[in-house]
Formats: sequence, C-alpha cells, structure tokens
Amino acid sequence: MATIELNGRTYTVDENGFLQEPEIWNDDVARDFATTEGITDMTDEHWVLVRYLRDYYLKYGIAPMVRKLCKETGFRLAQVYDLFPSGPANGACKVAGLPKPTGCV
Amino acid sequence: MSMTYLDNAATSFPKPEETYVFMDQFYRTHGVNPGRSGYDLCMETGQLVDDTRKLLARFFNGTDSDRLIFAYNSTDALNLALLGMLSSGDHAITTTVEHNSVLRPLYHLSQHAGVEVDHVPFDANGFVDPDALAARFKPTTRVVAVNHASNVIGTVQPIAEIGRRCREHGIRLVVDASQTAGKIPIDVQAMNVDVLAFTGHKSLMGPTGIGGLYVQEGVEIRQLRAGGTGVRSAQRAHLVEYPWRLEYGTPNVLGIAGLNAGLKWIEKTGLAAIDAHEMRLMRRLVDGLHEVPNVSLYCQDSLDNHIAVMAFNLDGFEAGNTGTILDVDHNIACRTGLHCAPMVHEQLGLDKIHGAVRFGIGPFNTDDDITAAIGAVGEIAAVRAKKMTRTRG
Repeated sequence: MATIELNGRTYTVDENGFLQEPEIWNDDVARDFATTEGITDMTDEHWVLVRYLRDYYLKYGIAPMVRKLCKETGFRLAQVYDLFPSGPANGACKVAGLPKPTGCV
Repeated sequence: MSMTYLDNAATSFPKPEETYVFMDQFYRTHGVNPGRSGYDLCMETGQLVDDTRKLLARFFNGTDSDRLIFAYNSTDALNLALLGMLSSGDHAITTTVEHNSVLRPLYHLSQHAGVEVDHVPFDANGFVDPDALAARFKPTTRVVAVNHASNVIGTVQPIAEIGRRCREHGIRLVVDASQTAGKIPIDVQAMNVDVLAFTGHKSLMGPTGIGGLYVQEGVEIRQLRAGGTGVRSAQRAHLVEYPWRLEYGTPNVLGIAGLNAGLKWIEKTGLAAIDAHEMRLMRRLVDGLHEVPNVSLYCQDSLDNHIAVMAFNLDGFEAGNTGTILDVDHNIACRTGLHCAPMVHEQLGLDKIHGAVRFGIGPFNTDDDITAAIGAVGEIAAVRAKKMTRTRG
C-alpha cells in the first residue's frame, strides 16, 4: 500500500491518493488532504460539503449521488468544482476521507 | 426544470407518438410468432414484417426487399457483414472516423482470422479523401468499411465517390449508416453501396433492439449462425436464401412494429424537413458556442456535409466534468468521453484529455433547447474563467 506525507504526517492511501484508514479521519486530516487539491484554507463552504459527504458515508457506507449532494447542500455543481477543482468525487470525497467512489458522486 | 435532451446521437428521444402508440397497439393485438404458422393472426404479423422490409428497402432505394435483413442493431448487422465477407489473407480498409461497431469486428478479424486491416485518417475538416483511401487498395483488398457520418464530429463522408473507386476495383463497400439513416437520403444504388448497416433506434425513430442490413444483389455474405427460420424445417442446413440466410430465430416483432411506425412518421414529415430543422438548430448551436470564450469545437468550421452532431470542450476542463455540470446544474443530457469512436479522439488529440462533450440534435429539439445549451456552456465557461483568473491572481 502506498503512503503519502502531508504536513509532516504520513497516511496510507490507494493508488489514487484516497485515505485507506477512514477511522483516523478528523478535521486535521481533512486539512492535510485539502492541500492535495491546492486548498490552503478550508472555508465554511468547504466544510459544509465535506461534513455532508462524511455523514452520508458513515450512515450509508457509500458516497451520495451527485444530484443528492447538490440538492441537500444547496450548492450548484459548478460551485463544487470551484471549491474542489478535481470535483466532488476525486476532490471533495478525498478530503472527506471517503474511499474513491465508483460511480455515485 | 424540464430536461433538455441533446443525446440524440446515442438514441433519439422522445420517439414520435405514433411509434409508441403503434407498438403498444400492435403487440397487444398481434404479438404472435410471424412466419411459423398459418392462422390469420400469424399471417398478419408476418405481413407487418414483410411490409417493413419493403418500406426499408424502398427507403434505401434497394431493389429486392428480401435482401433487407433484420438484426439487433448496427453492431450486430456489421458483425454479420464483416465476419461474413472477410477471410484469412484478405485485406480490409477502414477509417479513423469509425465507431467501434466497425473497428472492433475488424480488429477481431485481424487478431483471430488473419485479416489485414488499414485505417485511413480523415483530413483537418473531418472528411476521408476517396483518393487517399483508394491509394491503400491492394490485390487482396476485399472490403472497404466506412461510416456514412461520424457519431462524434458529424461529418458526412463522400460515400458515392468512395463507392465508385471500390466498384472500379471489384472491392465491396460496407457502409455504417447508424447516424444518417432517417436524417439524410441514402440511395444504395446511386452511392455504390454494397452493404448498408442501419439501426432503428436513432433517426429511424424506432425502439432499441432493431436494426439491419441491406445487401445488394450479387453480394454474398457467409452465414455465421444457424437456427430456426420457420421455413423448410426438415432441412438440416440453415437456408441460403435471403432474408433467412442472415436471420436466426424469432424476429423482434415489437421492434419491427416500432420501426414501421417510425419510418411512416419520417415519410410523413419528410427527410428534407427533418434535416432542415436539425441543421438550422445546429447552425445556431455552433454559432452560439463559437461566441463562448475558451470553447473548442472540432471540425465545425463549415456545416456543409454535416449532420446535427457536434463535439466540443471547455479548455482546461475535462469533458466528463462539463457533462456532469450540464446534467446536474442545467438538466441537459449529453454524452461525454470517447463516444465508442476512440480513433477520432486519438487523431484530434482528445484521448489524452478523456474525449469531448457531444451534443446530438433530433427532430423534436427546439430553439429553446439550443438557447439553454448555449447559455449553460457559457455559464460554466464563465465560472471556469473566473476561477482561472483568481488562481492566477
């Protein structure tokens, strides 16, 4: 399994850079992974999306469909891409500590 | 917000009301196995199958409706044709503008049947030069397989000219008319086409699961399957006469009924009127997208010899992302990626950026749809441009 060092901390990740130890996720881990998206400052808007994804994943074990993400959070998808340049799946889910989605978000 | 459907190159949607109504009505009253028995209902169902063969043969200006073969779709029909026409040691020529419905059967033949395959590139405007194609002819060339119109860039190939060169050399021309049948006129005689493959669910306005071939007189395709025909059951070998030679088992009666209704709708509406409507909208769409900053269009400089199918990208933004935003934020349905036509994207250099966004216009699209599409792409482009400015700043 690959590892990645972010802000002096080492994480086990898959080949796409997604966290492999969901149990260690916390806000600091999110901030560390946000740097891989070029995000140096996690705004309130970033946190709204990350917390929604995190809560949904913990409840259902999968990432939500992208339409649901937008509907429940009130964001337009273009805004999600604005906040997470790699998009909801490869960006926001990665920061939220979810495994790489296979076809939902 | 109602959906704007611009994925007609994948399948036309919606269908004419006549297609839905006739399929429902016919299957309720005639859903029996045609050509297997002699009771009246069975004969009537068989009559619809025959009538639809005649309609289609006439539609393509074929001379013998028995040589109109029903298959599942274009891919199925092209497999019947290409695998039944080529053998070890043969040479086949195709183009880089093809769909996988041609590319993959030919690749299969090259890998497993000793068939040599050449791919002729298209020019900067998306057209195949008949002379460049003819320059690849060899003594072993048996088949040229060409897409009538691209499912990515919408360019209509000079089939009659390619066909003339094939005829001069005794080479068979197989044409994939998936995108054109029901959009623009097809005359297999005037265009020198030996085998025409079509699908029913796109511009012919039928349902999925029905398509076929028209095989010109004098062209023989080896049968690759065998089975029930409903005719001469005591005979051990599969029948060699058309259409049974290339049809196996109970036909798709419901699909044929839908295709019958779709064809009648096209004849009532008029091919010229359908094409004029779609190309007027296409002109607006292309002109509108040209005005959007950072939009790249491919092979759309002129719309001469085009159908209403086009591909584009927002610079620096993956097609899949654009398509998802069009869907989620704007309720616009389109197709992104490689469109089952990988060599088109390779030649345009789009394979490295995961393809393009495709809009396909159909007869039921409206000016409002085009306005919505141009507006949506413009909005996405503006958001991207703002972000790029911020990033640079």
